Amino acid sequence: MREKKREQYDVVVIGGGPAGLTAAIYCGRAHLSTLLIEKSLIGGLATYTNEIENYPGFPEGTTGLGLMELFHKQAKKFGVTFKLTDVKTVNLEGETKEVETFRTIYEAKTVIVASGGRPRVTKAKDEEKYLFDKGISFCATCDAAANTGKTVMVIGSGDAAIEEGTFLSKFAKEVIVSVIHDEGKMDCNEIARDAALANPKMTFIWNTVVESFEGEGHLSRVNLKNLKTGDIIPVDVDNCFEFIGYEPNTEIFVDKLPMSQRNYIITNEHMETGIPGVFACGDVREKELKQVATAVGDGAIAGVGAEKYIAETEMFENQLMQKEKVGIIYVYSAIDAPSRELLPMMQEIENAFQGQVKLNVIDQYKGKSLCERLGCDVEPMTVFYTKGGEVVETSTRCDKKSVAEALNKLVATPVEVAL
Amino acid sequence: MKEETLDCLGEACPVPLVKTQKALEKLDVGDVLIVQIDHSCAMKNVPEWAREAGHNVEIEEVDDGEWDVVIEKVK
Repeated sequence: MREKKREQYDVVVIGGGPAGLTAAIYCGRAHLSTLLIEKSLIGGLATYTNEIENYPGFPEGTTGLGLMELFHKQAKKFGVTFKLTDVKTVNLEGETKEVETFRTIYEAKTVIVASGGRPRVTKAKDEEKYLFDKGISFCATCDAAANTGKTVMVIGSGDAAIEEGTFLSKFAKEVIVSVIHDEGKMDCNEIARDAALANPKMTFIWNTVVESFEGEGHLSRVNLKNLKTGDIIPVDVDNCFEFIGYEPNTEIFVDKLPMSQRNYIITNEHMETGIPGVFACGDVREKELKQVATAVGDGAIAGVGAEKYIAETEMFENQLMQKEKVGIIYVYSAIDAPSRELLPMMQEIENAFQGQVKLNVIDQYKGKSLCERLGCDVEPMTVFYTKGGEVVETSTRCDKKSVAEALNKLVATPVEVAL
Repeated sequence: MKEETLDCLGEACPVPLVKTQKALEKLDVGDVLIVQIDHSCAMKNVPEWAREAGHNVEIEEVDDGEWDVVIEKVK
C-alpha cells in the first residue's frame, strides 16, 4: 500500500449539501483555509429534487441542481477547496483532527460534519428504476404542486407520511395510502390520523406493503401485497411518495460522536457536538424540520462556530497561555461591580512587577468559552496563575496582598508591592 | 499497475455506468480506470456503484460540469 499524503486545513467540511456548502461559504469568507469533501455530486440530497419552490429568494422556483450549483459557485468564490471522494474514517479527538480518504489524510483544526441522510427505501422489486425523478419521490413539500390533479400513492403511516399525505391531498385528485397495519391503525399522532381518515380525497389500503413498481420510463403502477391474504393489488398512480423514514449517513462516526437512538448526531443550538472543534449541521443532526432553508441556517451557525473556535484557540494558546512570562489571568464580569472595580488594581500589580508578569483579563460573560477552557463554572473574581504556559494555581483571593504574594512565589526577582 | 481512460463525454445514463462496468471487468486488481463524464446523473450512479462493488473512488472536477471519476480496482 502506498503512503498516504498529508494535507493541512483550518476547516474540513464533510458533505457537500446545502448545510456543508453554507458552512464552507462562511469559513471561506472568514479567510480560513477550507476543504469540503463530497462523495459524489455537490449539492447532496437537494439535487435529487427537481423543483424547489419554497427556498426564499427564488419567486419563480428553481431546480435542486441549479440552486446547488449557485451555492457551489459562491463557495468557490470564497476560495473553498473541493474534493470529490468519500471519507473512510475520522479521528476527532485532540487538537488536530484527521479526516482520511483512500489517498490522503487531511489534518484540520475543526471538522464540520454535514454528511446528511438518505431516504429509506422499500427495497421492493424495480424500485431503483423510478427513484427520485422518475415517479418515486421522498419529499411532498418539494413535489406536491407538480401533482395537481393527479393520483398519487403514499407509502407509510408515520407522522411524515400522514401529514405529508394530507398536504398532498390539497393538490392531488386522489391520495392512496398504503399502510402496513390493520384497518384504522397508524403510526402517526391521533390528530393527523383523524384528519386523514375524514379527508374525502384520501383512501387507505390496509395491511399492505409494496411488492413491485412498474412503468415505461416513468412509474405508472404500484403493486401492493396484502400481508394477511397474500393478494397482489395493482394500483395505477402518477407518482409515489415513500415516507418510511430517513437513514443518516453516520456510519463513520459511530462511537466517535454522540448520537441519538436512530443514529442522528446530537448537537446543541450552536451545532456543537460536545467534542471541542467538531460541529454538525443539516440533516445529519437530530432535529425537527429537514429543508434546504433549515440546512442553510445550521450551516451558517456551524461555520461561524468553527471560525470562533479557531480564533479562540489561537488566543488561548498565544495570549492566555503565553510561555514567556509568569501569567495572571483575572476573570471578572462586566455586570458585576465589585469584580469590575478590581481591574485597575490588577493593572497596577502587573506594572509593579516591571515586565516580569503578563496580565490577561476575561469578561466572564463575553468570554464564556474561554472560561470553559480554563475549567468549567468559573466565577467572577477568580485568578489563575500561569508559568511556562500552564496553570499552576487557581484562587478566589483577589486582594492586592494575596495576589502580590502569589506572584512573588513564581517570578525570578520578587518585588515589594506597595499595599 | 495500469491506468486506463474511458471517454464517456456526451453520454447520458445509463451508458457511462454500463461502459464502466465492462471496462473494469477487463482490468486487474490494483489497476486504475479514469472515467470521463459530463452528465450529472452519472455522477450519482457511477461512483455509487463502484463503491458498492468495493472499489476505491475519487473524483476530480476537471471543468464546470465535467468530471474524471478515478476508480482503483480493489477486487
